[in-house]
Amino acid sequence: MPEATVTANFDVYRYDPATDAAPRYQRYTLQLAPHTPVLTGLLRIRDELDPTLTLRYSCRSAICGSCAMLVNSKSRLACQTPVGPEIEQHGRIVIDPMRNLPVLRDLVVEMTTFWSKYSRIEPHLIDDPAHPMPVGRETTMSPAQVERFKETPRCIACGACYSACPAVEADAEFPGPMALAKLYRFVVDPRDGARRERLVKIQTEGLWLCLRCHLCTEACPKDVQPSQRIRDLKEMAVAVQGGTEPGSRHAIGFKDNIRSTGTLNEMKLVRQTSGLLGMVAQAPQGIKLSRKKPEILHAPKKIEGQEELEKLYELLDDAPPKEEP
Amino acid sequence: MQRHDVVVVGAGLAGQRAALAAVAAGLDVAIVTKLHPLRSHSGAAQGGINAAVGKEDSVDTHIYDTVKGSDYLGDQDAIEFFCREAGPTVVEMEHFGTIFSRGDDGSLARRPFGGAGFPRTIYAADRTGLALLQALYERLGTEAFTLYEEWDLTSLIVRDGRVQGIVAFDRRHGDFAAIAARSVVIATGPAGRIYGRTTNAHSCTGDGIAAAYDAGAALKDMEFVQFHPTALLESSILITEGARGEGGILKNASGERFMARYAPHVFDLASRDVVSRAIWTEVKEGRGFPGDFVHLELMHLGREKIESRLQEICDFCRSFAGIDPVTEPIPVMPAQHYMMGGVSTNIRGETTIPGLFSAGEAACVSIHGANRLGGNSLLETLVFGKQAGESAAAYTAKAPAASVTADDLDRETGRIRAMSDRKDGEAPAKLRLEMQHTMDELVGIYRVPAELVEALRQIRALKARYRSVRVEDTSKRYNLNLTDALETGHMLELAEVIVAGAIARTESRGAHTRVDFPKRDDGHWMRHTMATKTADGPGLSYAPVAYTRWEPKERVY
Amino acid sequence: MRLAYYPGCVAQESGKELDMATRWVAKKVGLELVGFPNFSCCGSGFVDEANSTLNTAMNARNLAIAEKAGLDILTVCSTCTGMLSLANHQLKDPKVRARVDGALSQIGVAYSGKTRVKHLLEVLTKEIGTERIRALVTRPLKGLKVGAFYGCHLLRPSAELGSESAEEPHSFEDLIAALGAEPVMYRGRVMCCGFPILFVKEATANRIAATQIQDAKAHGAHAMATPCPLCHISLDSFQNKAEKQAGHDLDMPIFHLPQLVGLALGATPEELGLPRHMVATDSALARIGQVAVPA
Repeated sequence: MPEATVTANFDVYRYDPATDAAPRYQRYTLQLAPHTPVLTGLLRIRDELDPTLTLRYSCRSAICGSCAMLVNSKSRLACQTPVGPEIEQHGRIVIDPMRNLPVLRDLVVEMTTFWSKYSRIEPHLIDDPAHPMPVGRETTMSPAQVERFKETPRCIACGACYSACPAVEADAEFPGPMALAKLYRFVVDPRDGARRERLVKIQTEGLWLCLRCHLCTEACPKDVQPSQRIRDLKEMAVAVQGGTEPGSRHAIGFKDNIRSTGTLNEMKLVRQTSGLLGMVAQAPQGIKLSRKKPEILHAPKKIEGQEELEKLYELLDDAPPKEEP
Repeated sequence: MQRHDVVVVGAGLAGQRAALAAVAAGLDVAIVTKLHPLRSHSGAAQGGINAAVGKEDSVDTHIYDTVKGSDYLGDQDAIEFFCREAGPTVVEMEHFGTIFSRGDDGSLARRPFGGAGFPRTIYAADRTGLALLQALYERLGTEAFTLYEEWDLTSLIVRDGRVQGIVAFDRRHGDFAAIAARSVVIATGPAGRIYGRTTNAHSCTGDGIAAAYDAGAALKDMEFVQFHPTALLESSILITEGARGEGGILKNASGERFMARYAPHVFDLASRDVVSRAIWTEVKEGRGFPGDFVHLELMHLGREKIESRLQEICDFCRSFAGIDPVTEPIPVMPAQHYMMGGVSTNIRGETTIPGLFSAGEAACVSIHGANRLGGNSLLETLVFGKQAGESAAAYTAKAPAASVTADDLDRETGRIRAMSDRKDGEAPAKLRLEMQHTMDELVGIYRVPAELVEALRQIRALKARYRSVRVEDTSKRYNLNLTDALETGHMLELAEVIVAGAIARTESRGAHTRVDFPKRDDGHWMRHTMATKTADGPGLSYAPVAYTRWEPKERVY
Repeated sequence: MRLAYYPGCVAQESGKELDMATRWVAKKVGLELVGFPNFSCCGSGFVDEANSTLNTAMNARNLAIAEKAGLDILTVCSTCTGMLSLANHQLKDPKVRARVDGALSQIGVAYSGKTRVKHLLEVLTKEIGTERIRALVTRPLKGLKVGAFYGCHLLRPSAELGSESAEEPHSFEDLIAALGAEPVMYRGRVMCCGFPILFVKEATANRIAATQIQDAKAHGAHAMATPCPLCHISLDSFQNKAEKQAGHDLDMPIFHLPQLVGLALGATPEELGLPRHMVATDSALARIGQVAVPA
C-alpha cells in the first residue's frame, strides 16, 4: 500500500485585507504520496508548519463543497485534486482563492453574491394548483422523469463553476452556472407548477449571457455539466416564449437565416436579432467592416442540396416539438 | 445583545427541521451554525432513510429490527414512535422537493440494509443525505428567520434553572455576541473527530454536546461509539453500506468471504458492529493484507451497475485512493462513524435543562441504544428535529423573557482571549493529534480494561495541558487557530466522558465490546449511562430502559 | 492526406482570408482539400440553442456527406469543430439517433457515425507533426511573441472533443514554437472571446475580448493567433469596440492560425489576406523582418 513520496512545493496566496498591504505567496514544502489530495497537504501545513493559513474545509470527501479554490489556476475542490499530476505538469502547486468573489482572508472568499444569485432563481418547489401533492403518500415520478434532472441533483454548491466563469467575471447581471443549473432542476421537476414562469423570467435575468464556453462544466467536481443544462434552458425558453430577448431572437434568427441558402447571411442576421433600429445602431461598424470585408454586404449563394436542408426544417422545426413525458 | 425566541445551534437536517417547526409556530427563530447549512455533515450520509410502508406489521418489523439492532438498549416507546413517524416523514421530505430514486412504477425505490428484515431503505442514488439537505434548505429558505452563518457556539447561558441564551462568535470578523433566547436547540451533530480514524467531517467536534455538558445537562450512553466497517484506508472516507446492499463482498487476504463465518444467515449484510468486529478480528488474527486492511469487492457487479447506483463510491475510490472499483478491490478498515450517545433527551427532545432541547446525532433519546442501524440516522434527524422544534416552540410560548448580561459575554471573551494573550503554551493541533491517537489506539472496537484506564489517564493529562493552550494566529478574520483551540477543548471533555463510561460498563453490548466481559449482561447492565459534569470529571449514574413489547433476546444475524 | 474541407460560413465570406491562408498552407504541407458544395452551416451554436434536434440532424447531414466520400472532415474553425463533434456525441443517445435517423431517411441520407472531425491545428500538430512543420519553415518567426487563443469550442466540453486538455492544452504553443516564434502563456488563452453574446449584450462581449487581449499583452505578446474565425471577428473586427471597454488602445494584431503558419513557410502577406484585417498586422510583420503592404 505505501506509495513513494514526492516533494510537493505549495505556493499559497496569503492576504488579510485587515492587516496586509498586498497579497503575497508563501512557500511550504512537504513530502507527499502522489495520490494525496491538495487539501490533505494544506491541512498538514496548518498542523505542522503554519496554523495561520486560512481556508474553508469540512468533509474532505467532495460532498460539502467547502474547499473550492484555484489549484494551478484551475477551479477545483482541494480535497479531490491529487498533488501528483499537478507537480508533474507544473513542478509546484500554486494555490489561490476562487475567482469572482471578494477575498475575506487567504483562501476564504465572501460567498454572499453567489448565494444571493442562487436564491434569486427561487430554488424551491412552487405549488401547482392543477396538480396538488397527493396526501399521505409520495408523488409518483417515473424513472424517465427522474432521468430528466440529469446530473443537476449532484450539485454541492461549491462555487467552482462560478469561479471559472468568464461571463460572471464580465457582467454582474449573469446569474452564474450554478444558479442556472439549479433553475433547470426546478424547470424539469414534475412537481413544480411554475415551469413557464421560470423560463420567462430567466430570459430577462441573464440567461442569454451564457457564453457556452463550457469552462463551468470542466471545473465542476460533480459532473453536473451546467453549460449543457443552460443550453437546455435556452431551448426550452425558446419553445415556451419564442424570440422576446436579443438572445432568443439571435438564436431563432440564426436558425431561420441559414434555412434559405444553407449558409449565413451576415447582414440579414443583424436585422433579425436587433431589428431595424439595431441595424441602424450597428451601421457605423458595419460600414467600417465592409470597407475591408465587402462580403458582409453580399447575400450568400445557395448550397447544393438546400432542399434537403429545407426538408429537415419542415420535419424538425415547423412541426411543434413533442411534449416531454 | 441580540435576542430571539428560539435559537437553533446547527444547520444540518435536525437543526433545519427544528427551525422549520419553530417558524411554523410563528416564533422569531435564529439558526447559529459554524458552516453554511449546505456544508453540514448531514450531506455526507449516503445510503438512505428507513421507512416501512403500508401495513402495520411492516412498521412493527422496522421497530423490531431497530430494537434488536440496539441490542435491547433502545427505549422501545421512543422506537415505536420513531418508526411510526417514518412514513409521513419521508413523504413530507418528498413533498418538500427531495429527488429520490424511483422504481419502475414511479414509487420510492428501496434497498436492503444491514440488520433490516426486508428492503425499507429509501434512497437517492448514494447521496441521500445531500438530497434531503438540499430539499430542506430550499424549503426553509421560503421562511423568515435569522441565519448566523459561520458563527461558533462557545457556551450556553443557563441561569435560574433554565436557558437564557448562548454566547457565540462570528468566525468571519472575530466578534463575540451574547444572544438571548428563551429556548435553545442543540443540533450540532457528532464529535467523531475525537478519533483520528473517523468517517466524520473535520467540523464534527461536538461543540453543542460539550456546551450542554458544561452547562449541566446530562449526556447519555456516550460510551457507545459505532464503527463503520468499510472506510477507505488512509482517508477513512466512508464507503456506504449500500455497496454491500447492492452486492459488494468482503474478502480477507486468502480471498475468503469471511462474513460467512461471523453472520451465517446474512453474511456481509449483518449489522455494522458485527461486521466491524469481524474485520478487526480478521486483521488482528493475521488474515488481513499487509498494512492491515481487508478488501471490499464490487467488480463482480459490473461497470453499469457500479457507475449508476454507486457513483459517489466510484468517484471516491478513483479520486482519493487512485483505485478503480470496477476493476480493483477497495482497501477498507473500520473507522469511527456514529455516536449513539449524546445530550440526553426524551421523545419530545427535552434535555435535563428547562429550555434546552436537542435532536439529531448530538442527542440521545435513545433510539439506537447500543448500536444504530443504517438508514435510521437520517430518519432520526428529521423525526426528532421536528419534535425538538415543536417542543421548543411550545416551551417558549409559556417561558418568561430571557436575559443575558454583559458579564455573560465578558466571562467568555476573557476566557477565550487568554488563549491568544499567553506567550507560551501548546498548539491546539498538537493536543488534538495526541487525543486522536489515544482514542484510535486505546478506545476502539475491542476495549481492553487496562487500555481504557490508560486512555483516561492520557485524556486527563491532555486536559491539564489544554489549560495552557496557545493561539498563535492574531488575526480577527476567520481565525482557524482559535476555532481549533475551542474545538479541541470540547472534544477533550467528551473524550473523557466516553472513556469513563466505557470503563464503568462491564459487559459487551452492541458497539461496546469488552474483551474481559464478552457477553451481554442484562441482569446488571440493561440501563442507560447518564453522565453529568462534576469537579472531578464525569459523574455517572444509570437510568432504566423503556420497554413496550420486546423481551431481550440473544442477538444473532 | 485527403480530407473533406469544411470551411464554414465565415471563411467563405467575410473571413475569406482564412480560406486563402488555409489553401496556401495545405498545398505546402501536402493536404488535399476536397470541397463539397453541399455542406451547410454548422449552426454556430445558435441553432443548437433554438432547436437542438434540428442542429444535430443538420450536422449529421454534413458528417454523412463526408462519410459517403470515405473522408474525415478538416475544419478551420473552433466553433465548426465543436458543433460537428457535438453532433457525433449527441447521436450516441438512442433517442436522439432515432429522431435524427428518421428525418435523414426522408432526405435519403444515412450516417453511421464514422466521420472524424479534425481541426487544422490537430492535423498540423498531430498527424503531420510539429517536427515536419519545423522542417518546412523558411522564414522562422524569430523575435515574435505570440499568444495563442484557442477558442472554447475546440477544447470543450472535453466529453465531446477530448483531443487535448480542456483547460491546459499546448498543441498551439508547440506549433508556434516550431514556427520559430515564442509562445506566450497567459490565462486568457483558453477563455472566451465574447462572440456568442456579441449581438446579445455587445458591451459585455467587448469587455470580455478586451480582458483576453490585455492579458496577452501584459504577458508580452506582440500578436495573438486563433484557430477560430468567430474569435477573430470578436478580437480583430471588433477590437475597436474592445478598446472602448478597455479605455485605451490595444493595437494587437490577430492572426488566423494558417496565416501564422503561412508566414513561416514563406507566404506573402497578400497571399494570406492580411490586408483584410481591421487591426493592422504591420507591427508583427516588422518584427519578423517582413515589409508591410499598404492596405
